[in-house]
Amino acid sequence: MDVLRTEALTKIYGTGENKVTALEDAVLRVKQGEFAAIVGTSGSGKSTLLHLLGGLDRPTSGKVFVDGKDIFSLKDEALTIFRRRRIGFVFQSFNLVPTLNVYENIVFPIRLDGNAVDERFVGEVMQMLGLDKMKERLPNQLSGGQQQRVAIARALASKPAIVLADEPTGNLDSRTSQDVLSLLKVTGQKFSQTIVMITHNEAIAQMADRIIRIEDGRIVKGGEPDE
Amino acid sequence: MFGNGAVLERLDKMLEDGINGTFEESDYDETKLSKLETKWLRYLAASKMSYQKTEEERQKLKELVSDISHQTRTPLANILLYTQLLQEQALPEESSLLVSEIRQQSEKLEFLIQSLVKTSRLETGTFQLFPEEQSVAPLIRAVTAQAEAAAAQKRIRITAAPADCTAKFDSKWTQEALYNILDNAVKYSPADSEIRIGTEPFELFVQISVSDSGCGIAEEELPRIFGRFYRGSNVREQSGVGIGLYLSRQIAEGQGGYITAESRQGTGSVFRLCLPR
Repeated sequence: MDVLRTEALTKIYGTGENKVTALEDAVLRVKQGEFAAIVGTSGSGKSTLLHLLGGLDRPTSGKVFVDGKDIFSLKDEALTIFRRRRIGFVFQSFNLVPTLNVYENIVFPIRLDGNAVDERFVGEVMQMLGLDKMKERLPNQLSGGQQQRVAIARALASKPAIVLADEPTGNLDSRTSQDVLSLLKVTGQKFSQTIVMITHNEAIAQMADRIIRIEDGRIVKGGEPDE
Repeated sequence: MFGNGAVLERLDKMLEDGINGTFEESDYDETKLSKLETKWLRYLAASKMSYQKTEEERQKLKELVSDISHQTRTPLANILLYTQLLQEQALPEESSLLVSEIRQQSEKLEFLIQSLVKTSRLETGTFQLFPEEQSVAPLIRAVTAQAEAAAAQKRIRITAAPADCTAKFDSKWTQEALYNILDNAVKYSPADSEIRIGTEPFELFVQISVSDSGCGIAEEELPRIFGRFYRGSNVREQSGVGIGLYLSRQIAEGQGGYITAESRQGTGSVFRLCLPR
C-alpha cells in the first residue's frame, strides 16, 4: 500500500519576472515500510518537496496523499492536527524543548494530543535508540548525536504513518552521523516504519532502500517504488 | 450506565483497549453504550479471527516450503552422488560433457534448496539467532578461509584489514551472511583482482565492508538485489540463484543490524554489514 503519494506537485514562488519554479510536476509514491532518500544538490527543490510532503507548506498545484488522505483538502488547523498525529518529523536542528527532559520530549506530541502514552512501545523505542539510561537528562546535557536520537524517538513515539527527516545528520560529524543513521534504519526495519529522508550526501543516501533523485525541481529518478 | 461527559472517555478507552487487544465489556444494561460495547466486541472478535486465519494460512505455506525443501534433499544428494560416480567412469567425450552439465545443475539446485531451508527456518523461527558480544576478527578470518579456494581459482586476492573490535552477533549465522556477500564478490569480480574487507567500529555499530572491483550494479537495481530470487541483469549468464543476499539480509536484520550496498557500474561494489555493539 502507498503510504505517501503525490499528484503533479508544483510549487512556484513569486510572480511575473521574479517567478521561480521550485518544484514541477513531482510524482512520487512511497510504500508502507520503505526507507527512501531524496537526493539533490542545494537549490534542487528537495526541501520544498519535503515541506510539501509534510504539509508544512501548501503547493501551487497538485496533491499529496498521506495514508490515502488528501492533506491539502484540510483547513490549516485541521492540517496542523493531522501533521501532529500522522507525520513524524526529524530536523537537522533537533528542535527539542530545552526545559523538558528526554522522556518528556519524546512523549510531548502524544501529550499535546491528550492521548495516553503507550509506555511499552515508547520504552522499546528508547531502548533501541540507547536512550533508556538517560531519560531524566535535559537536552543541554546531551551530545548532538544523542539529541538527534531523542528527536528520532519523538518522531516514532506517536506511531505516525510516515517519518520525514530533513538532513537528519546535517549538524553531526561523520562518525556520529553513521551511528544515528544506523539507528534510524534499524528502528525503521523493526517497526516497519515508513521513512523519507532528504540529504545532499550520497554516502548517507546509500543507507536507504530507494534513492529518489531531484534536479532543478524535477524528480529525475526513483519516484516509483519497485514492485 | 455512564454520565454523558464520561461517554466520550469510555469510547476512547474502548478503542484504546481494542487496539491493545484487552477490551472487555464493562456491564450489560439497556443503554446505547452497552449495545455499542457488544457490537465493538463482535467486531474485534471477527477481525481477530480473520487475522488468525491469515496467520494460519501463512504458517501452512511456510511449513509447505519447509517440507518441500526438506524432502527434496535426500534424492538430490543421491543424484549428486551418482553423477559423481558416473564421472569417475571412462565415458565418451560427449557424454562426460553432459554429465558435468548435470552435476553443475544439481549443485545449483542443492544450494538453492539449502538456502530455502535456511530462510524458511529463520522465518518460521525454527532457527533462532543468539547474538553474543564477541570479537569480529575470527568471523572475518573464518569467512575469508571459506572463500579462499574459489578466489584462488580466479587468482583473486582477499585482503582483510586488522579488526580489533567486538560486536553483538550470532557467530554461525553471521558467518553465513558475510560469506554470501564475499562469495558474490568473488563470483562477480574479474580474475586477478582484489577484494578488500574492512572493519570500522563506531560508537553503537560496527561496519564490515566488502569492496570488489567487479561489474557493479546499476542504481535502479540496488534495492532489488536483496529480494528473493532477484538476479542482476548483467550477471544472468553467471551461475547463482539469487537467494544468498536475501538470506544475508534476513540474518542481519534478525539481530538488529542491516546490510547496504553501494555500487558503480564498471568500477565495483561495496557491501556493508552493520552489526550492533
